[in-house]
Amino acid sequence: MWLLKGVNVLNWFRNIKSNWNTWTLLSILFIALILLPSLSIILQFAAETNENWIHIKEYMLNTYIVNSVILVLFVGLFTAIIGSSLAWIISAYDFPLRGFFQWGLILPLAIPPYIGAYTYHGILNYTGVIQTTLRNQWDITVDQQYFNIMNMPGTIFIFVIFLFPYVFTITKAFLARQSTALIENARILGTSSWRIYFRTVLPIARASIVAGVSLVILEVLNDYGVVKYYGIQTFTTAIFQTWFGLGDLDSAIKLSGTLMLLILGLLILERLLRGRKRFSFTTTKVRLLQPVKLQGRRKWLAFAYCMFIFGIAFIIPFIQLISWAILTYDQSFSVEFLQVIGNTIGVAFVAAAIITIMAVVISNVSRLNRGLFAKVFPRVTILGYSIPGAVIAVGIVSLFIGLDKRIYEWGFTSSYILSTSIVMLIFAYIVRYLAVAYNSVESGFERIGTQFTDASRILGNNVTKSFFKVDVKLIRGAIFGGFILAFIDILKELPLTLILRPFNFETLATNAFNYATNEMIHEAALPSILIVCISAISIYAFHHVLERE
Amino acid sequence: MFVNIKDLSFKYPNSTAHCLESFNLTIQKGDITTILGESGSGKSSLLRLIAGLEMPEQGSISVDDQLMAGPSTFVQPEKRGIGMVFQDYALFPHLKVEDNITFGLHKWSRKEKKQRLNEVIELVNLKGYEKRYPYELSGGQQQRVALARALAPKPKLLLFDEPFSNLDADLQLKIREELRRILKATGVTSIFVTHDQDDAQALADQIVVLRDGKIIDLGTPRDIFGTDCDFSDRIAVKPRVLSKV
Repeated sequence: MWLLKGVNVLNWFRNIKSNWNTWTLLSILFIALILLPSLSIILQFAAETNENWIHIKEYMLNTYIVNSVILVLFVGLFTAIIGSSLAWIISAYDFPLRGFFQWGLILPLAIPPYIGAYTYHGILNYTGVIQTTLRNQWDITVDQQYFNIMNMPGTIFIFVIFLFPYVFTITKAFLARQSTALIENARILGTSSWRIYFRTVLPIARASIVAGVSLVILEVLNDYGVVKYYGIQTFTTAIFQTWFGLGDLDSAIKLSGTLMLLILGLLILERLLRGRKRFSFTTTKVRLLQPVKLQGRRKWLAFAYCMFIFGIAFIIPFIQLISWAILTYDQSFSVEFLQVIGNTIGVAFVAAAIITIMAVVISNVSRLNRGLFAKVFPRVTILGYSIPGAVIAVGIVSLFIGLDKRIYEWGFTSSYILSTSIVMLIFAYIVRYLAVAYNSVESGFERIGTQFTDASRILGNNVTKSFFKVDVKLIRGAIFGGFILAFIDILKELPLTLILRPFNFETLATNAFNYATNEMIHEAALPSILIVCISAISIYAFHHVLERE
Repeated sequence: MFVNIKDLSFKYPNSTAHCLESFNLTIQKGDITTILGESGSGKSSLLRLIAGLEMPEQGSISVDDQLMAGPSTFVQPEKRGIGMVFQDYALFPHLKVEDNITFGLHKWSRKEKKQRLNEVIELVNLKGYEKRYPYELSGGQQQRVALARALAPKPKLLLFDEPFSNLDADLQLKIREELRRILKATGVTSIFVTHDQDDAQALADQIVVLRDGKIIDLGTPRDIFGTDCDFSDRIAVKPRVLSKV
């Protein structure tokens, strides 16, 4: 018996020793860093309550919850309808400009909802292009209430048209690759198109639609720009107000903790909705769904639907932004503005590069190890993406201030260094967007499996050499894709940047938002159009990489 | 004994059942041993354990008197000096045939590499294909490249994980005969995993029949498939283990 226990202990030490390398150590370090802000909130969530928190709980918390839930419900419902129907039309039918719409309908993601929000307000308000034209050309003065978008339905509209591509892309990928046999069978059985959509497509694509809608909901709960600009009270605006208006970080932490609980509930709901059913096939032989050529009226109906959505979600705001940018180009373009562009690209590049390296290290360790690492690491990396920016900001600030206090007390510095530097902002980007790059890199690793690494190791290369000589060459596209996605997200990011940027540090996003909140919508156009163009080019590059792979 | 496996047990982390339990096997130097069994019998796991791609739960593996895995020892796969031919060959798609073959020759000089490349290329009959990429080769040619790559660093032990499963029947017959010739010419000790009795019979000096992680029969092809075994008419042979496999 003793002998057996002794052997087990020896085995345990042997297992630890042989799994313990630089990759594992780095991964554990990265995971610990990512967990720190959330832990900081959880630890302080249970702290003693103060007067502000009692006031918020009694009079305001209800409104935040009700508004957040209304937004989440309606935006979720409409993005599911629009995203899935577009995905079905594009995957199953051939009609004019179908090839363009395949990636054109992803382009609305290049317009951050807060930019879309003030652009649409600018288009529809009293001095906007529509009302001005009606007044000047036809002498028509409209009732303002029909053109007021700064309310709950307007907010829902903005989120729906700029976030539906999440549902569209995920559902389209599923329909095009995974559903061929089922849909072709339904067609052979003589089922009508509408019936196929409702009876076959929606049930089999349910998991993809739910996955897309979950991303949309996380974006809605993360948003600060739209709700602040349109005056809708949600958790994020409340966290900002409590923190900056009341100067009360403790209550902001409590609000953040409550929001984290709400999101945890939503994620559990998503798991339940997805159910036990798995709709992907185990075969690797993928047969693409062949689109049916539409004729006559139906061809133009499909085209009109796609064009309408593309028009309101991209063309209209894009043209409006360009015309404003041309109007204000002289005033907006300056040396300071070049500095802002430099800041934005620089910080996004550095953070996206660090994120990609971390994603590669963590996903390599989790794929080469079985057991705990493989299970825990992917879940922790997606944690940051589930937590809204404002909450991460609260966690990081309380963490960095705590660290700074220690460093100051030990006499290493004469002032707070970490919490006033760009390090804090880059760290926040890493926590929030690691999941974006991780998913891309992980899918690359999944595609190649472990056989090439095994072959390389048997031929005398250790894990690191195998990684650089083999793995990295085979998943270049996925690594580049991960970098691009993280880069675009950071470029557009608003709440984290607003809270955590060092004094006088402006990015294109904060620049545009500040102009817009100061009612200088035309001046906000130039930074906005730059964000949209860089994002659109990156989306195209990403799409191109995927197509090639 | 050249390969000595003692009391080996193994199970995958998420599984409750053992793939191998108290497994013992010895192999003589220069022998070709075939592990014959159905899928799920533990034969591929055994190969991965010998290669160092999995860590045993219990027991020990020694090759050429060197302990590779034991209670407090685990030699990483890159340090074992063992070669392996994978089921789907695992040829590096971004490297040409010549770079695939010389991949394992790290510390060799350029001249030595070139010389070894020529030797193995000739051995596997692939002269003229050095500059091609794996996707430009047929299944049989890819298999030869995989064999050449595994042989190039002169491993002390060579492992084969169902290397014929992706080939059509005619090619399979031709290649396995050639493989036996090459292995005997190099004198390398080999372990060959298959579910195909014809492969086992044609290649092996020793056959191990595996079921549910345990040896149910062991011997020469003649022992296993009967004394009247006629290798020219293998299909007619009624092996004594047929009901057990």
